[in-house]
Amino acid sequence: MSQNQERFSQTVSAILGCAPEDVTDKLTPDQIDTWDSLNQINLVGALEQEFGVSLVAQDLAEYQSVVKLKALLREHGVEV
Amino acid sequence: MDTKANPPTSITPGDAALLLAQIDDRPTLVNINTAARRIAPIASSLASVQKRLACLSSFTIDFLKTPLELQALRAGLHLQTHVAPYGQIDQELIDPHSGVASFKPDVVLIAVRLRDVCPALYDSFNSLSPDEARAMIDDWLARFKSAVMSFRQHSQAHLLILNYEAPAVPALGIADRSSVNSQSRLIQAANASLDAIAAAVANAHVLDYDALIAAHGRATWEDRRMALYGRIPVAAQHYWPFAGFIVRYLRPMYGLTKKVLVLDADNTLWGGVIGDVGVDGIALGYDYPGSAFVAFQKRVLDLYHRGIVLCIASKNQPGIVEEALKTHPNMVLREKHFAAMRVNWHPKPQNLQEMAADLNLGIDSFVFLDDSDVECALMREVLPQVMTVCLPREPARYAAVVESLDCFDQFSVSAEDRVRGELYRAESGRRQLQSAVVDMPTFYRQLAMKVTFGINQSSQISRAAQMTNRTNQFNMHTIRCSEDDIRRFMTSGDHEVITLALEDRFGDSGVVGLAIVRKSPEKWVLHQLLMSCRILGRTVEQAFVKWIAGRAKSAGAAQIVGEFVPTTKNKPFAEFYASCGFAVQSPGHAPVEWILPLANVDTTIPDWIAIQSPDSEVS
Repeated sequence: MSQNQERFSQTVSAILGCAPEDVTDKLTPDQIDTWDSLNQINLVGALEQEFGVSLVAQDLAEYQSVVKLKALLREHGVEV
Repeated sequence: MDTKANPPTSITPGDAALLLAQIDDRPTLVNINTAARRIAPIASSLASVQKRLACLSSFTIDFLKTPLELQALRAGLHLQTHVAPYGQIDQELIDPHSGVASFKPDVVLIAVRLRDVCPALYDSFNSLSPDEARAMIDDWLARFKSAVMSFRQHSQAHLLILNYEAPAVPALGIADRSSVNSQSRLIQAANASLDAIAAAVANAHVLDYDALIAAHGRATWEDRRMALYGRIPVAAQHYWPFAGFIVRYLRPMYGLTKKVLVLDADNTLWGGVIGDVGVDGIALGYDYPGSAFVAFQKRVLDLYHRGIVLCIASKNQPGIVEEALKTHPNMVLREKHFAAMRVNWHPKPQNLQEMAADLNLGIDSFVFLDDSDVECALMREVLPQVMTVCLPREPARYAAVVESLDCFDQFSVSAEDRVRGELYRAESGRRQLQSAVVDMPTFYRQLAMKVTFGINQSSQISRAAQMTNRTNQFNMHTIRCSEDDIRRFMTSGDHEVITLALEDRFGDSGVVGLAIVRKSPEKWVLHQLLMSCRILGRTVEQAFVKWIAGRAKSAGAAQIVGEFVPTTKNKPFAEFYASCGFAVQSPGHAPVEWILPLANVDTTIPDWIAIQSPDSEVS
C-alpha cells in the first residue's frame, strides 16, 4: 500500500470509527451507520486537511463512497 | 451492516492527556475524532463533574458536539449534549415541553448569528435605510428577550449567549467609520443591547464570539463552501478553539478553574542551562533570544497580578535558581512572586505533589509548563490531572502560550485575587513561626488574629460567589452559587449571607469564610459553610461556627442543622462538625445531617481571636 493509500485509510477510519483495513473500495454509507451527513462533510474536510488540498466539492452528496472519494482526490492531483 | 465501528482498546488517563495535547498541536478532524473514540470508554473516570448542555442555534452546530465534549473533559467536566434542530430558537426556549426543556439542561448554549435572523443587515445592508436597519435589529432583540424571559419561567439553566460578529469588510467599505448608517456601529449597538438583556436575566452570560472570530481572522473563520452546503459557518480548523472558547465559561461555573502555574527554569524562565553557563551567562535581556524570555516573564507576572499562584520546579543545584531570581538585573519575576519552589534532582511529579501539600491546594488545580518533552510526558503519565503544557521550540512563541492559557479564568476578579500571591507567601511565614514555637495557643497568640464578620453585604457578592466556586476542600457539599444566587439569598429576608475576613500580623487575608443560613424561629439551617484552606488549623473555623451559634441562640433558635455531602476532595471537612459539637441526626440518611443543639452550647471565642463588630448590614 502506498503512503497516500495508508493515509487515506487512516483518515476515513478515524472519522467513521472503523478499522483501517475495513476501508476498502466496497465501503459505502449503506455499510456503516457512522457514515451520516455530518460525517460526509467531516470526511471531505479531513481529507483536505490530511492531503493539503482544497477540493471542489460542487455537490458533496455525490462523493458518498470510498471509490468516489478517491476519484475526487485524484482529480486534485493526489494519487490514492 | 457489514462494517462495525471499531471497538476501542482501553487507555490510561495519561494516554488521554497526551491525545488531547496532540489536538492542541494539530487540531485536525482526524486527531479530534481519533481522541474522542479512544477516550470515550474512560470519559466518566476523567471528570469530577457531570452536566447536561443543550445547544440552540441558527445554523447547523452538530459539528461542535465532539470537540466540545473533549474540551470539557479536559477541564474535568463530563458533558452530555443535546443539539436542537437549527433555527428553532423561539419555540425551543418558550415551550416548557420543547426538546431542550425536556432534556433538563444545566446549561444552554444559544448560538444565534445576527446574519441568520436579520440576513439583510449583512447581505444587502446598503439597500436599507438607517431606520429600517435599526428596526430589524430591535425586532429581533425584542423577540429574543421575550423568549429568554419565558424560558426563565420554567428553567434555571445557565444561559451562554454568543454575541454578534462584525462583517469582515463593512458594506460601505472605508466609508463605514464616518457614515451615519455605519454597519459596524449598528452591530456594536446590537451587542450592547444583548449585554443589557443578559444582565437583566439571572445566570445569563454573553460570550464574546465576535472577539473569538477576530482573534482567529475574520476572513478565514468561515469556509464559504461548508457555510452554503451544510450551513456550517465555521471552518474545520476552528472547531477546536471554538469548543475551547465555550469551555472557558464552563470552568468557573463548576469550580474547575486552575489556580497554580508551575514553571520550569532553564530554557523556560531564561535561555540556557544555568548550571553550565552561570547566572551571568543565561539569555535574558533586551536582545533576542533574551527578549523572548523577558516577554514571557512579563506575561506570567501579569497572571500573578490577577491571583494565579506561581511556583518553580527545576532540576538544578539548589540555590542557583534563587540566586538568579535575586541578582540577575533583567529578571522580571523575583523570589517574592513564587509561593513555593523546588530546585533539586527529584522527579518533578513528586515536587508538584509536595508543593500542593505545602500550599494546601488540590493537585488538579495545577498547570505545569516546561520546554522538555520528556518532563511533560512524565508529568502527563504520573499526574494526568495536572494540566501539562509543553513549550514550543521557539522562545519567541512562549508569551503567546501564556496568553492562550484559558484555564485560570473567573467571571470577575476580586481584591483578594490581586494580592493572592502575597497571601500565600505570608502563609509560609506563618509556617516558619509555627515550627519555632512550642505550643499551639502561643502560636495562635503570636499571630494576633482579627476576624471581621459581614452580614448580607452587597459589596461581598462577587467574592462570596467566587468562594463557592473555588473552594473544594473545606466545603460541606460543594454546591456552587452564582452572583445572582448570592444576591437572592441576601434579599430573601429569611437568609443571612455571612462573610468572615481575617487579618493577622503577617497581613490581611481578606474574606476567607462564607456561611449562608436559612433562619426559622426554631432552627438555623446551614445552606453553605466553607473556608479557604489557606487559613485552616488556626481555630478560626471553629470560632466561625461558635459565632453563628451565639447569634442563632440569641435569636431564640434551638439548633443549627448542617449537612455533609462527601466529595473526592472535601475530606478536611468530614471531622469538622464533630469538633464543633455537632452530632449526626439520623445515621444512614443521605446526605448526612448534623445537628448542633444550642441549649448548652459553648459560644466562647478563644482569647487569641479578636472579633471586630460586624459591619453595618446592607442589602
